[in-house]
Amino acid sequence: MSQLTFQEAVIQGISEEMERDERIFHLGQDIGPIYNGAMHSAKGLGAKFGPRRIIQTPISESAMVGAGIGAALAGRRPIVQLMFAEFLGLGLTPLACDAAAMWYKSDGTVSVPLVIRVLYGAGPHRGHSEDYQAWVASVPGIKVAMPSCPRDAKGLMKAALRDNNPVVFFEHMALYHGARQEVPEEDYVVPLGEAEIKSEGSDVTIVATALMAQQALKAAEQLRGEGISAEVVDPRSIVPMDIETVRRSVAKTRRLVVVSESWKTGDPLSDLTASIAEDLAGNAPLKIARVGLQNTPRPFAMPLARAAMPNVQTITEAVRRITESS
Amino acid sequence: MTPDANLLTSLYHLVAKGRVLESLLGKLPGFHPGVGEEGVVVGAFFGLKDSDYIAPHYRGALLAAHMRGADLRRLIAGVLGKVTSYSRGRVRGDICLPLQFNTLGMFSGVLGNPLNISTGIALAASLDGKQGVVVTSFGEGTSNLGAFHESLNLAACLALPIVYICQNNGYAMSTRTDYALKCASVADRAQGYGMPGIRVEGNDVVAMHQAVQSAVARARAGEGPTLIDAVTYRISGHYSADPNDYQPKDERASWLKKDPLLLLKARLQAQGVMTEAQLNEIEKAAEAEITQAIAEAQADPDPGLEVLGPDDLYSPVLERVA
Ligand SMILES: Cc1ncc(C[n+]2csc(CCOP(=O)(O)OP(=O)(O)O)c2C)c(N)n1
Repeated sequence: MSQLTFQEAVIQGISEEMERDERIFHLGQDIGPIYNGAMHSAKGLGAKFGPRRIIQTPISESAMVGAGIGAALAGRRPIVQLMFAEFLGLGLTPLACDAAAMWYKSDGTVSVPLVIRVLYGAGPHRGHSEDYQAWVASVPGIKVAMPSCPRDAKGLMKAALRDNNPVVFFEHMALYHGARQEVPEEDYVVPLGEAEIKSEGSDVTIVATALMAQQALKAAEQLRGEGISAEVVDPRSIVPMDIETVRRSVAKTRRLVVVSESWKTGDPLSDLTASIAEDLAGNAPLKIARVGLQNTPRPFAMPLARAAMPNVQTITEAVRRITESS
Repeated sequence: MTPDANLLTSLYHLVAKGRVLESLLGKLPGFHPGVGEEGVVVGAFFGLKDSDYIAPHYRGALLAAHMRGADLRRLIAGVLGKVTSYSRGRVRGDICLPLQFNTLGMFSGVLGNPLNISTGIALAASLDGKQGVVVTSFGEGTSNLGAFHESLNLAACLALPIVYICQNNGYAMSTRTDYALKCASVADRAQGYGMPGIRVEGNDVVAMHQAVQSAVARARAGEGPTLIDAVTYRISGHYSADPNDYQPKDERASWLKKDPLLLLKARLQAQGVMTEAQLNEIEKAAEAEITQAIAEAQADPDPGLEVLGPDDLYSPVLERVA
């Protein structure tokens, strides 16, 4: 075991997989040994693997994604870093219209083992916090990982690199150089589509990913002091979504709070909420609350940016809203 | 054409101001300063009509907006996210500019979008038929995006009144131009779209201004777009905290000798337009003005939560019909 940050864990996952599998290479802007990637997102990889496997590109996101798809079709297992999720749109048509459809439309003859890495999230960086996760999560055929801690980040990255499908891998900037965590040294994966109960409870289920999962844990801690027992479920990947684990939890608590750092409109977690309502409403009473980003473009000034997004307080308020009245 | 003393003096005021602005703002966290690139900015946007539009590259954007009449203190307040800024703190003021000065900035962090959008402003100018012109600038790194290639081709096809200026500072983050572009000059790309492509010493603000003005005249006359490769050098790091240690020492040293401010000062003295003492006085005045603007902006209040505007998502739909 070693104590790693989120960023170190992601890189360790990539590095181990690149050592194991010669077919993996990494495309990106400024990911070489001089700059080591935005926010050191490729630190040490260029020095270790050299320019034939850590390949710097011009600023050409559409070509980068398209080239990743092409190389994947030809037997490689590329990683393409788009620096920030804000730039996902530039690579969206080759990814969503073509790559996502290939396995199904080719009747299972062609697969696209491709990992797209993006930084995102309100945090230390000025701007570039948008995630646009709904764009990729709403198209069948793309998987989406959103880890909340170093151990999951490494395990999910390894799973993504062994997956035969396009995976968009979200790396949260506020978690990136944050808290360290014990990360196993032996080979392990965190499978895509497997939620984890981060904290057990019996009164209410809180579902959240990434930074919001960390906030939910803090909220749960606070609520415990008030005599409310919250269970925090982190889906870890939003596609595929582990509905079953959430359903089991909500069947027990009969109360669900869904927290998203993104807009509630079109949020993949809203689909989850609908599925849970579909499955569990109609038996005993079921209470649901959603917490998300204000439905406007993200404001810039720090006090506005903070107030527009969910935090421990808005999460605990939502929990109280649906626990008090019953 | 030898420039007259008035022109030289005006250019000098702006380049000197730009230098102070870029150096002082470069101390703020996360800022992308354009020290050494002021010649391109001033040369590109000096001498336009108020009714023309500009869409400047994000590096040097505040200087460009100020040249259009935007208030320095309010621009800097935008960098700091203060309520006194033009957006009341809603947008990143380091890259997004007040459009009321016919100055387009970046409403997101996505490079290349302003190239497409400013091409549309030129389309509207062309439809208006009032000889309006658009001048837009962008980095050489940005010229590797599809947005650049698609915009230039579209503008050429429709003979749009727009001047595309590549603020070519040799680097895109740490990526050298000679790694990411395999043509000798960004200007060579113009040939592929059937428009003139011109390479200019961007640090010679006079040459820069003259090249842009002839492209502007061409655009105004309805003869279509021009691409200008304005060659300069990024003296600053990519952003404030970038150690910038990847620039070779001798390359950097040779460019420091071609500093646009030094070149212009030498010229003004050689032509007897101003003495060294007069030049220094102007620099001092610029420093005082900008130091004060920064101090005022820093003392300005943060936006209150009333600026959040959760319901302020759409413009009133039918307002313009009445
Ligand atoms: C579409 C897009 N890709 C990547 C980035 C990240 N990024 C910000 S500045 C920059 C370098 C831009 O280089 P250039 O256009 O040459 O301008 P310079 O920074 O040198 O002034 C990059 C890659 C971005 N903002 N937008």
